[in-house]
Amino acid sequence: MPSILNRLRPYAMVAPALVVFSLFYLYPIGYMIHLSFHEWNFISPVKTYVGLNNYREMLADDTFLQVLRNSALYTVMTVLLATGTALPLAIWLNRKSAFHAFVQGAIFSPHIISLVSISLLWSWLMDPEYGLLNGLLHLFGISPLKWLNDPGTALVSLVIVAVWKSLGYNTLVFIAGLQSIPPELLEAAALDRSKPWTTFRRLILPMLSPTLFFLVIINLIGSFQVFETIAIMTQGGPINSTNTLVYYIYEYGFRFFKIGYASAAGVILLIIVGTLTLIYFRLLSRRVHYR
Amino acid sequence: MNRRWMAVLLAVSLTVVLAACGGGGSGEGSAGGTQASGAKSQGGAADNDKDKIVIRYWYAFGDKIEEAKQELVRRFNESQDRIEVIAEHQGNYDDLHAKVQAAFAAGNAPAVTDLEIASTGMFARSGMLLELTPYAERDAEALKLDDFNPGLMGNAYVDAKLYGLPFMRSTPIMYKNVTMLKEAGLDPEGPRNWEELEQYARVLKEKGKYAMTVPVDIWFYEALVFQSGGRILSEDGKKALFNSPEGVEPVAFWKRLAEEGLIKIPVGDDAGAAADKDWANQISALRFASTAGVSAAIEIAEGNGFEMSTSFMPANRDYGVPTGGCQLVITSKLTDEEKEAAWEFIKFMTTTESTIYQHKHVGYLPTRLSALETDELKAHFAEYPQYKVAVDQLAYANPRPMENAYPEIVMLIKNAIEKAILNPKVSPQEAMDEAAAKADKLLAK
Repeated sequence: MPSILNRLRPYAMVAPALVVFSLFYLYPIGYMIHLSFHEWNFISPVKTYVGLNNYREMLADDTFLQVLRNSALYTVMTVLLATGTALPLAIWLNRKSAFHAFVQGAIFSPHIISLVSISLLWSWLMDPEYGLLNGLLHLFGISPLKWLNDPGTALVSLVIVAVWKSLGYNTLVFIAGLQSIPPELLEAAALDRSKPWTTFRRLILPMLSPTLFFLVIINLIGSFQVFETIAIMTQGGPINSTNTLVYYIYEYGFRFFKIGYASAAGVILLIIVGTLTLIYFRLLSRRVHYR
Repeated sequence: MNRRWMAVLLAVSLTVVLAACGGGGSGEGSAGGTQASGAKSQGGAADNDKDKIVIRYWYAFGDKIEEAKQELVRRFNESQDRIEVIAEHQGNYDDLHAKVQAAFAAGNAPAVTDLEIASTGMFARSGMLLELTPYAERDAEALKLDDFNPGLMGNAYVDAKLYGLPFMRSTPIMYKNVTMLKEAGLDPEGPRNWEELEQYARVLKEKGKYAMTVPVDIWFYEALVFQSGGRILSEDGKKALFNSPEGVEPVAFWKRLAEEGLIKIPVGDDAGAAADKDWANQISALRFASTAGVSAAIEIAEGNGFEMSTSFMPANRDYGVPTGGCQLVITSKLTDEEKEAAWEFIKFMTTTESTIYQHKHVGYLPTRLSALETDELKAHFAEYPQYKVAVDQLAYANPRPMENAYPEIVMLIKNAIEKAILNPKVSPQEAMDEAAAKADKLLAK
């Protein structure tokens, strides 16, 4: 009797988590996949089975292909800039002084502000007529940009906002990574009179690689799911130049009420993000660092 | 001993969790039920009257519009003691529609809601709305359906059945900065047709101003198509007609004027706000906007020290505008008692007295012909002629398309127009043809 209880105990322990997990993650995912093979408007009692039609239609839609391209472009730019600028910043900020602590706090602050406020704020900054950014450009004699109102610059404008928002967090994580490098290694390098660049390339970068890798993946997944800034600042325009996957899903689901079609797009998003996550775990298990 | 107790405790807590989750999953009906009875007892407790019927009314928009809606609900609740209406704000029309749909699917829809007129078709055809024809026939005496301005009834019927009563309705009108026009030596009456608009623009351009800042807004585009004598969709709703000459002409007109720097076409999400700002800051002399903004525009003109008036949108072949705004509808999954209560409520909200109040407070159209005959409105129009323009313009009003696919088609049209205007290599005809081909596919379903 006690042995059965003992055997059951672990299952009992994980059961609550498992119930919550299946209810709020597995069931919705399954239901979404189910819906993606149907045509439904949310309220009609009948869901018409249409097989792979939603997928076929979506892949033939040049808007959807543009949306995929936008998402990829946005993600690549955001990840490169967000991690690429955070690393030098972290190296510069990784010392103890009141000034450095202040800068660290200052660049971290956007991370705790709600994205909705940030979006509104940047919409004003980027206003082509009255915005502060064009005022600054004017000071330097550069002709004003249309920022969000020009299909050529709109996506980049959104990238700027995303980088500004995530920079502080990325820097903080890099600093933590830098501080976990054993000081004796750095001392040894200094004793061997290694040049700063060599120390960085042969010692710091390899020791930082797990951190770097973590940040790249987190930013990658986050960028692919961008929604708030787009919903508030551009609504996917002008001419779809900032329409990305999650906004596309929202628009089809909740403005055109084509739930089946939106679910099919959701499945595509699931596949993309799932693949990225799988790669992450694969590489993580192979261990990229040296301790 | 201790351990066994732990196990028992775990098992018990687990059952509780499972039961709670199961209850949540199974029960749209039960959730809706408790909600409704909760609301009922709440209303009963407040008035110590258990027979009182409590219904919910969902509405869109804040500010002056919200004030007027809240005030009318308050008046209704005080006018009688059988029905209690709880009014709840739900954002803009898009937000409101999405929430009503979700609530309906969950069996928890409000009894009465605002509904943007172009969406009536989809909501009615999905069976979400109560058909009002029998109620209107029964109460024909009190309701006086033919007292509603005929120009506003086009979107109240779906397949010849009545589904809504006109509530806060509007048309786009042209707002004029009279001071700017006078300074440029132009007739302050403003342009009466497209040609005059172009002439005005050339004069204003010499003064370093724009005639107009106009966003690519489906409502204004619809107006220009109607002015050209065209239609957006065919009568039976099976075919896109906006790539006909009448549909392409407005795009070509906008493109030509924009390329010559005569008008300004902002794009992007805040294009509408940009147009309003340009007008308020006297960069542009004219603007198209809803009649719902008259009260606000009078305040702006006073604050910025210029004289303003309103007039019809300029004609092409003829005058023409779409109507807009919302009507009141009743959802279909209600008890008979609730249906009667909801009907009482929407009748009250659309009386002559109510429509005069909301018109004066916000600027939306007076929906009833009898309202125009009252001394109150005659005196109001004499003092503020800006309010009257939209009423007169209703003679040229057209209903908006109500096909299920229309929201998606609107997106196609908007993108096509922006593409034609922003991209010099794309002709208006090409852009509209491409959008029409896609729209035809959607309509064929």
